[in-house]
Amino acid sequence: MQVDKRKLYHLDWYLIINGLILFAIGLMNLISATSSFYSGSYGFIIKQLVAFCAGVVLIGVIINFDYHTIAGHAHIFYFVVLAAVVLVLVWGMAAGGARRWISIFGISFQPSEFIKPVLVLLLACILHEKKREKALLGPRDVLVPFIWTLSPFVLILLQPDLGTGLIILLVALALLWFVGMKKSTYAILIAIGTFLPLVAWQYVLKPYQKQRIYTFLNIDADPLGVGYHTKQAMIAVGSGKFFGKGYLQGTQHKLQFIPEHHTDFIYTVFAEEWGFLGSIVFFILFLTFIRRCLKISQDAHDDLGSIIAFGLATIIFLQFTINVLMAIHLAPVVGIPLPFISYGGSSLISVLISVGLLLNINMRRYMF
Amino acid sequence: MRKGDRSYKSRFYAKPRGAEYEKVMKDGTFPDKYRWCKWVLILTMVILSLRLWHLQIMQGNEMRRQSEMNRIRIKKIIAPRGVIYDRMGRVLADTRPSFNLYITPEDIKDFNQTVDGLATLLGLDREEIIDKLKAASGFPSSFPVKIKSDISMDELAKVEANRVYLPGANIQIEPKRNYPYGTMMAHMLGYVSEISNDELKKKEYKTYSPGDYIGKYGLEKMYESYLRGADGEKRVEVDAMGREVRTLDMVEPIAGSSMYLNVNLDVQMVIEKMLEGKRGGCIALEPKSGAVVALVSRPAFDPNTFASGISKEEWRAITTDKTHPLQNRVIQGRYPPGSTFKVLTALMALQEGVINEHTGFSCGGGFPFGNRVFKCWKKGGHGGVNVRRAIVESCDVFFYNVGLRLGIDRIHKAGDMVGLGKRAGIDLPGEASGLVPSSEWKKKTYGVPWYEGETVSVAIGQGAVWLTPIQLVQLSSFVANEGVTFKPQLVNKILGPDGKTLKAFGPVINVDVKLKKDIFRIVKEGMQGVVNEPSGTAYGSRVQNVHMSGKTGTAQSSTLEGGKNLGDHAWFIAFAPSEDPGIAVSVLIEHGGHGSSVSAPVAKAVAETLFTVKPEIKEAKAGASR
Repeated sequence: MQVDKRKLYHLDWYLIINGLILFAIGLMNLISATSSFYSGSYGFIIKQLVAFCAGVVLIGVIINFDYHTIAGHAHIFYFVVLAAVVLVLVWGMAAGGARRWISIFGISFQPSEFIKPVLVLLLACILHEKKREKALLGPRDVLVPFIWTLSPFVLILLQPDLGTGLIILLVALALLWFVGMKKSTYAILIAIGTFLPLVAWQYVLKPYQKQRIYTFLNIDADPLGVGYHTKQAMIAVGSGKFFGKGYLQGTQHKLQFIPEHHTDFIYTVFAEEWGFLGSIVFFILFLTFIRRCLKISQDAHDDLGSIIAFGLATIIFLQFTINVLMAIHLAPVVGIPLPFISYGGSSLISVLISVGLLLNINMRRYMF
Repeated sequence: MRKGDRSYKSRFYAKPRGAEYEKVMKDGTFPDKYRWCKWVLILTMVILSLRLWHLQIMQGNEMRRQSEMNRIRIKKIIAPRGVIYDRMGRVLADTRPSFNLYITPEDIKDFNQTVDGLATLLGLDREEIIDKLKAASGFPSSFPVKIKSDISMDELAKVEANRVYLPGANIQIEPKRNYPYGTMMAHMLGYVSEISNDELKKKEYKTYSPGDYIGKYGLEKMYESYLRGADGEKRVEVDAMGREVRTLDMVEPIAGSSMYLNVNLDVQMVIEKMLEGKRGGCIALEPKSGAVVALVSRPAFDPNTFASGISKEEWRAITTDKTHPLQNRVIQGRYPPGSTFKVLTALMALQEGVINEHTGFSCGGGFPFGNRVFKCWKKGGHGGVNVRRAIVESCDVFFYNVGLRLGIDRIHKAGDMVGLGKRAGIDLPGEASGLVPSSEWKKKTYGVPWYEGETVSVAIGQGAVWLTPIQLVQLSSFVANEGVTFKPQLVNKILGPDGKTLKAFGPVINVDVKLKKDIFRIVKEGMQGVVNEPSGTAYGSRVQNVHMSGKTGTAQSSTLEGGKNLGDHAWFIAFAPSEDPGIAVSVLIEHGGHGSSVSAPVAKAVAETLFTVKPEIKEAKAGASR
């Protein structure tokens, strides 16, 4: 397929450069985070780079097709990913007490990571159709998107992967809000929103997940279990002070006081070594990236593009915010990777797919 | 590119163009959402920044301190205790590496898992572990608490294999006191043991912490400040499991000072061997300096058991033992001196002029006084005896007469003169003072006057006379030195870890008395006769080539065990060679019978070891240097 030179010209280089900077920071930080591992950083960096290259190739493929075409096949992607999630539940590899991984040709995937952009595509199509019929969504219009969201949500909770489940639920809600709802719909959703957590607490949440919430509310009640890790994460962040301890000088993660410090708690590594100053720069980089995503949504050629771009921006925003809030003890501990920064091929490729879709929407904004 | 070019377009509506497009963009559904989004982003930035400001700037110092505390542990490096040598440089006490089990409370993840795990693995008492942890509760939780000392290789393997399941438990290699001769010299060297909770509360032990070893008995206690050395410490970086990652810096420990004793291991071993299985004590010292050549008390204990952490059962067994193995009989055992006391009576009688060299008394085997008859040990009597023969043959009747002439207060004065009844001042803790009675003492103690009849008993070392073997060796020295005694001294010199002499102990005069001419000649002749004349009470213990002088004693004991009298205490005091005394000895064997048959051979063996060379001594020397 021929790539239109004008479209290449319309590639959003701000988004690309912003993303590259974040990825570079992530790689640099990953070297430090994994330096204490027995096997050293080398293997982690190579795997992360391979995933990045795969992601860039995927971006190349994605921008070749009009996003309308891609969205038109969203239900196919949706069922493929859903099938993979089911496969994981049946044959998946367990890590840390949860089945989240599946191995194909010797490469491990975490299919639940891919459900995020795919669900956004599918919901965008559905909502866009609804949007054509009426200005604001009524309670019944909300039902269909919810059913599409609920199946992956339940499957992912079964893994169990509370973090990803939470993200897709929140993204679905954000999309509904974005498209616009009637006041009655809001009322019903708020009613369900208060009722559902009670049910979830009683029947869905596993003891260790409840423990995390207890611990979040009272960190000192469990100074040696989950609370210990939260406490250590806060100590890591706080001990960075204004300028940080310096690159590769963090002791909290190097001496294994923080679990998952190369994946879910990776922000603590950065904050310990780069301090307040580095963190502020880091936040600004992230928020400008998200601002850029929203700009793409705003400038999109049509509502479909706007909705998709908004959904993708929301995913990245939620992952970033919840991950950092968790590390600084403003949110309970849930396993959510930090986009671009956390170690993990599936997570990185999923983010790059989102970037591909965003570039796709952006380069076609002047398409008539 | 045109709209109609793509068939899929039919499924979607493109945004209206031109004026209509502008209108939608302005009045459509989305623009107000983007305003919301902008505010959400700003709010996020504000919340995150404020929280970071709180954590990193306001609490930054505290968090930095906590991260340092997390990773840095101060570990004590125990200084090896000073080595104790005999006078020839043979090792009597040293240190060896041992494995000690510690718990660091801070590193415990699950209290029950670690404590129960250790209790089951090593067969320890759970409550005992908890008690030890409680005892250290005043210390920071990163302070390792010693749970068991000197664990075996087997136990070490068990703990190491299960380290992962026992967070907080760790094993350290530390120097431990070692006594290669076991029970030998136990009372002299003493023992070290873990400092008790009561001791820790005392001011003088404020430099100690729980689990530290401290000298509790004997020389170990006496010279604790020299032997202890100074513990070092190292600051180490540990990981979350409490494992050492690297050493940040280190203060090397300073080894304890070593001590050279005056003790001669050869002599010590000979005596130890002869007292094996008996109850009693023996001390041999150089009369001309007070240097203690040997000191033995039996029964003894093994100081190694204390150093390894004595169990409650072992401690109970030692402290409730009726033979009192923890008592150092040489300095703490008070016994009636029996006939050895006659030496003192004779000295004073001659000095006071109550008798002279030729004064004679007739011994018919008994001495009627008041309404009773005091018997001589020899039933037929000795006939006419002078002071010299009275000492040689230990005639009781002679000394009954002399005692009466002297009176109790002059006997008491004699005791004072030689320094009996007072502590001899040996460098060991817990020395007891003896008693040579006076009329004043009896009045004070019992409120009744002294009876002359009691004087008769005291004159031959019975009744209210109580002396320790070390005081009697001073009596022997007093005669040998002709009026001078020195403070008995076990330690010759203390060498610092650099090998330089920190302290040398020269002779210290205890008593220096001038007596009338000839008195010592007369008494010495008598004492030489005891061993070297066929009629002497210790003739059986004469030594070839060397003249030994001595005096036997058989003290009546009223100790009953199971309703049966255990028999008399056997005494012997001596010095040799008679002409130029190099050694003074006092031997006591509890309930041993006659001093001549039981105690004198010990003194003979000492003299033989020092002044003649026999093949079996060579063997003993070879054994000692091994």
